[in-house]
Amino acid sequence: MFHSVLILIPAHNEAGSVSAVIREVIHRTGCRVVVIDDASTDNTAIIAREAGAMVLTLAVQLGAWGALQAGMRFALQQGYRFVITMDADGQHEARDLTRLFAPVYNGLSDVSIGACTSRGSKMRKIAWVFLKWISGLGMEDITSGFRAYNTAAVQLLAGRDATLLEYQDIGVLAHLKRNALAITEIQVEMCSRTSGRSRVYSSWLMVAYYMVQASILGFSKRGRK
Amino acid sequence: MSHVNWISATIGLLTAGLIFYLVRRDHLHTRYALWWVPVAMVMAILGVFPQIADWIGRTLGISYPPVIPLLLGLVAMVVKILVMDIERSRNEVKLTRLVQRVAILEKRLEDRLSKGGKTD
Repeated sequence: MFHSVLILIPAHNEAGSVSAVIREVIHRTGCRVVVIDDASTDNTAIIAREAGAMVLTLAVQLGAWGALQAGMRFALQQGYRFVITMDADGQHEARDLTRLFAPVYNGLSDVSIGACTSRGSKMRKIAWVFLKWISGLGMEDITSGFRAYNTAAVQLLAGRDATLLEYQDIGVLAHLKRNALAITEIQVEMCSRTSGRSRVYSSWLMVAYYMVQASILGFSKRGRK
Repeated sequence: MSHVNWISATIGLLTAGLIFYLVRRDHLHTRYALWWVPVAMVMAILGVFPQIADWIGRTLGISYPPVIPLLLGLVAMVVKILVMDIERSRNEVKLTRLVQRVAILEKRLEDRLSKGGKTD
């Protein structure tokens, strides 16, 4: 089932948790894994290689989306037909991979999101309600990085127009919708992070910055093309 | 000429002179000179002949003509800065995709150099 799938894990200084994630994924699915080392200053890349992943190292820090897009371009070049994205911090469970990938594998959807709406603080939930309203996206979990994409989706997201979609959530989802790609959600459990804290919600300033950006992006990309 | 005219003339001519100097010495790319040379000329002319602003004010029915150079200047700056941000966004796209491409190429190179070992 995972024969033509590439799993992408963007990582910036995740030496503490990435190894376990990689090993679990390979153990459960035998799938090929690429870790995109987003200019880490620790030994994330070395640890990832030792755990059995391929590594793409970015010379300049591009952020999660830039890193993921690098992985998607690599996947297309190497001929993979599907891509599954996961976080490096242990939040996403490898045992959910089969269920997550099934709708895309079976051609029922172009994209499948692993949704876990019960996670996160009150603040995050309020933020979600607002962002969902302003962007008109019909999804429950808009910030989940646990997703499966088929070839059409990967080709779209690897393109120039998708390059400046800061943060992989609203911008990416809106872009997919505008290009009439089908998105479905699968309920999953998410563990609390094994290491590190949320980067987006780490301080009021960051939250405000993120909210303004996401709102503008979501609002400006409403509707079908 | 009144006191004010000397100052505006000096500012206008100095700025114009500076811009032409920068272009001559290749510190300012000719592409941007397309913007700054006209700006320099307008500043020089309005500086030496501030009566022009008065004339424009009378023609357009603006009751306080000295505000005209100020207004023009502000509008020009807004346009210029917007254009700059658009260009910066384009550069960011180029840079991002370049970094991505380099990362992919480095991997392919690594794999090729270690041929005989794992190529995945």
